[in-house]
Amino acid sequence: MLRATLKSLFARKLRLILTALAVVLGVGMTAGSFILTDTALKSFDNLFGDVYKGTDVVVQGTTAFESSGQNNTGGGSERQPIPASVLPKVQAVNGVASAVGSIGGTAWIVDPNTNKVIQNGGAPPIGGSWDVGTTTLQIDPGDGAPPVGPNQVVIDAGTAADHGISVGQQIKVVTIKGPAEYTVSGVAHFGASNSLLGATLALFDLPTAQKLFDREGEYDTIYVKADSGIDPNHLAASVSSVLPKGYESITAASAASQQQDQVSQGLGFLRTFFLIFGFVALFVGAFIIFNMFNIVVSQRTRELALFRALGASRRQVRTSVLLESIAVGLIGSILGIGLGVILAFGLKALLGALGLKLPPTALAIETRTVVVSLIVGIGVTVVAAWVPSRRASRVAPIEALRESSTPDSSIRRRVIIGGIVLALGIAAIFAALFGGAANPGALVGLGAALTFLGVATLSPLFARGLAAVIGRPFRRTATGRLGDENAKRSPRRTASTASALMIGLGLVAFVSVFAASLKASAVKTLDEVLRADLTLSSNQFNPFSTHLAEQLRQDPNFSVVSELRQTEAHVGPSNTDTFPVAIDPATFAQVADTTMTSGSLADLSEPGAVLVSKNEADSRGLSVGSPVEMTFSATGAKQLHVVGVFENNVILNDYVISIATYNANVEQPLDQNVFLKYAPGVSQTDAKAELDAMLQKDYPNVQANDAAASKQQFLDSINQLLAFVFVLLFLSIIISGFGILATLWLSVFERVRELGLLRAVGMARVQVKRMVRIEAIIVAVLGAILGLAIGIVFAWALQRSLSNLGITELSLPVGQLIILLILAALIGVAAAILPARRAAKLNVLEAISYE
Amino acid sequence: MSMTTTQPAARAVEVRKVYGSGDAAVEALRGISLDLAAGEWTAIMGPSGSGKSTLLHVLAGLDTPTEGNVFIGDIDLTTLSDKQLTQLRRDRVGFVFQAFNLIPTLTASENITLPLDIAGRDVDKSWFDTVVNTVGLGDRLHHRPAELSGGQQQRVAGARALVSRPEIIFADEPTGNLDSKSGAELLDFLRSAVDDPRQTIVMVTHDAHAAAHADRVVFLADGNCVHEMRSPSADAILDQIKSLEA
Repeated sequence: MLRATLKSLFARKLRLILTALAVVLGVGMTAGSFILTDTALKSFDNLFGDVYKGTDVVVQGTTAFESSGQNNTGGGSERQPIPASVLPKVQAVNGVASAVGSIGGTAWIVDPNTNKVIQNGGAPPIGGSWDVGTTTLQIDPGDGAPPVGPNQVVIDAGTAADHGISVGQQIKVVTIKGPAEYTVSGVAHFGASNSLLGATLALFDLPTAQKLFDREGEYDTIYVKADSGIDPNHLAASVSSVLPKGYESITAASAASQQQDQVSQGLGFLRTFFLIFGFVALFVGAFIIFNMFNIVVSQRTRELALFRALGASRRQVRTSVLLESIAVGLIGSILGIGLGVILAFGLKALLGALGLKLPPTALAIETRTVVVSLIVGIGVTVVAAWVPSRRASRVAPIEALRESSTPDSSIRRRVIIGGIVLALGIAAIFAALFGGAANPGALVGLGAALTFLGVATLSPLFARGLAAVIGRPFRRTATGRLGDENAKRSPRRTASTASALMIGLGLVAFVSVFAASLKASAVKTLDEVLRADLTLSSNQFNPFSTHLAEQLRQDPNFSVVSELRQTEAHVGPSNTDTFPVAIDPATFAQVADTTMTSGSLADLSEPGAVLVSKNEADSRGLSVGSPVEMTFSATGAKQLHVVGVFENNVILNDYVISIATYNANVEQPLDQNVFLKYAPGVSQTDAKAELDAMLQKDYPNVQANDAAASKQQFLDSINQLLAFVFVLLFLSIIISGFGILATLWLSVFERVRELGLLRAVGMARVQVKRMVRIEAIIVAVLGAILGLAIGIVFAWALQRSLSNLGITELSLPVGQLIILLILAALIGVAAAILPARRAAKLNVLEAISYE
Repeated sequence: MSMTTTQPAARAVEVRKVYGSGDAAVEALRGISLDLAAGEWTAIMGPSGSGKSTLLHVLAGLDTPTEGNVFIGDIDLTTLSDKQLTQLRRDRVGFVFQAFNLIPTLTASENITLPLDIAGRDVDKSWFDTVVNTVGLGDRLHHRPAELSGGQQQRVAGARALVSRPEIIFADEPTGNLDSKSGAELLDFLRSAVDDPRQTIVMVTHDAHAAAHADRVVFLADGNCVHEMRSPSADAILDQIKSLEA
């Protein structure tokens, strides 16, 4: 039986390849996600290893929690600075060979050619001190010298090379103390590679760094080098004993691994994000495999019945089909892993386009990647082939002699099963969105998968009717009528082929509708809330120096200057990660209309006051007077009390604290936004022009937007994310295109005689092609219509569930949805090319000759 | 001078057909020449391997001869491109095959008008009704092939061949899959088409009773025309076959 299976498998190589392709792309995406994130992780490991090479022990302020890396505060987690008086104590510890104080913070280098701040996506612009004696940075001969004095800076070799900056050149560097000109004294690099993963480095001598980063008489870190033969663990403990409370001494190795953990957490999000698309692709692939195996079982009915007649048991027949699926899964997975390597490059380029540059390191292909890819690929194939294999085992021996194939399973059973699955899917989605489930993300995913499955199961019931509507415009010609009839002849086949496309297009439609709703809601709230004449923000929403706001307060052109800052904190008993926003209660009311449902915005000026969004207040049972424990990374847990509850809007996050509270708990204050109002009587055009000129000169990373431009900036950021998601979903759509191709290909073989007859009675080759193409278009558009319907319903459900977060509008991007329908038709046309050519090339004589 | 010396409906001139090459070459037709008179029903008979099906395919423009010329009317098929051959089959030729004659997704009536629909030509309603009446399908016109009996299916195929008023109809073992009663019905139907609208029919068959319905029977052996009879009886045909096989 095994030999018979393998023989029939390899006898139909093309079918094998087409079926395996359905697995290849999904596995490729899965493997690619792993390979990309593993590779990135490895390069970060190398980087951190390099950073701490010359150090044995690190002294730093303790932190309440490690930053999740999602807040754009520029640096890592926030820590208290170390008083300078601690350094001699550390130096005096037995076993310490040398100890130096170091400063670290944020410093933006301005590209001298474009006058724009250099910032590569989310990578930090690092500023700090050149740590004489402990730094592992190297300045090669001819690349200058370490910085000396208040006017010199050393930058990293990568930035220097990318932006054409050379030693001796004057460049502008922006710190929290504002912009200043420096002479590049040297260009430095880490170990062998120039890559800092997109980060830029601007290093000054220690006294200059202390001034620039507001650390006079203080250090951020003390790097300790041990005497030879001293165990770093031991030394860390001895250093610890001389430190005041609030500071810690850890080995360089654990400092490196702390940072690695932080990075791997950040990359974990990225991996999950990519894996979701891999699983979507596999899910789509499963439909195609299911369909292919079903068709093949039908076509092989006689052969299977012959096996049964010759004495093969049902089990053997089923096993033979499952063996075939394992072979397909194995081949598909192996090819998929190969594709994963290519996709990893593609994803890397995609991230690069979003500004997240990863270094050119060798790809890391872990054993885990291979194992997971094989399990997932083979698993999906076998699961998808399960039902067809059962169908095959039910073929009766007598059917070897009959013309007809096995009858389809009963409609009633289909309705019941499909109905139950669909109901479960919808229930899961609603439970996740409205029921406050523990892990709503996973539940939504499960619900969506079940909904797609349910609709796919039920779809044969209305596939015929829908196909009739879609096919109507084609029915005016004989070829069109034949194509339409072909699409309708097997509703199950048409429906499951269309279902594969339904999933991909459904998700695209969902994202489009939701994004449109998000945009509409944001624009509406911006209109309702924002009262500022101008909003200052940096490109890519990174924070910027507070020095700018201070300077603008002296500017007579503006009557109101109100800052908005953001930090990361943990709240409540479960230490939930949150990003509180800090505002100045006195001026904020003049730049934004905040709707208070209780309490007052003005009360935020009280010490320890916090405002809570209505949504957060409802879900946590908070009201005016409720205590809130908020933990800051630098200063630890603080007891705050709620003084007001506000309606959610796009400007504010769940928690709002005052600038005073923020300053007391955050080490390096940075502004996220500055809101401005023109002073009465000034020429707004002139004031804007003056401001633009000043920003261009001194703060090239910051731009001033009026209300319309603010909206546009917000819309642009959504559009960029949207494009990214579309690219990833496109993979699933390609797979479903292959599904249509494969189904049509098998159908063409099934209809050899029919096609021969059509050719014999005078159908031209172009007409045959057209007939196949029309069938493909009908199937594709059917899938698209189902997908759009589901996508719109999903988006509606999500929008309803988020309406209390300010997403109050449901907006249908009609133009985009029509484009999707046209795209689906084009996919049909593309998928039909090969089968149509095959059909047109059929040898008429062979097709009509009687066996 | 006879009044019947009109141009033949189809003609094969010195036609050779070789399949394969070298040692494996098989000569199916060996320089055969044959005129098929218009308005006449010709049956082609012969043992299997005699080349009768190949001859039909070549005459019908489904296959191309290795040497020689084939004419339908005054058109030399060997000069036509594939596209022109397709058009010729569509516009000037009708077909009835042994099986798989109908498109399963189309109704009987849609199958009948298929060649006209493919050509985008209008259906001559009164001619259509005449043909359908002769076929005797009655209320089953809007049924799909799966709902028709074998005999009904072959008669639908016959109607399809007639409805476009082709110059010639080629029938390849049209009764091969039918029981004798259904077979007789189909043959009667073809007979009436020859008698009344003077339809030219060429039919390959190995059934002497079927061949007995024809005006003329041509016997083939080893790729050549070896004998012919006019309006023979079934018994005379059987005798001739016996002598050929002996």
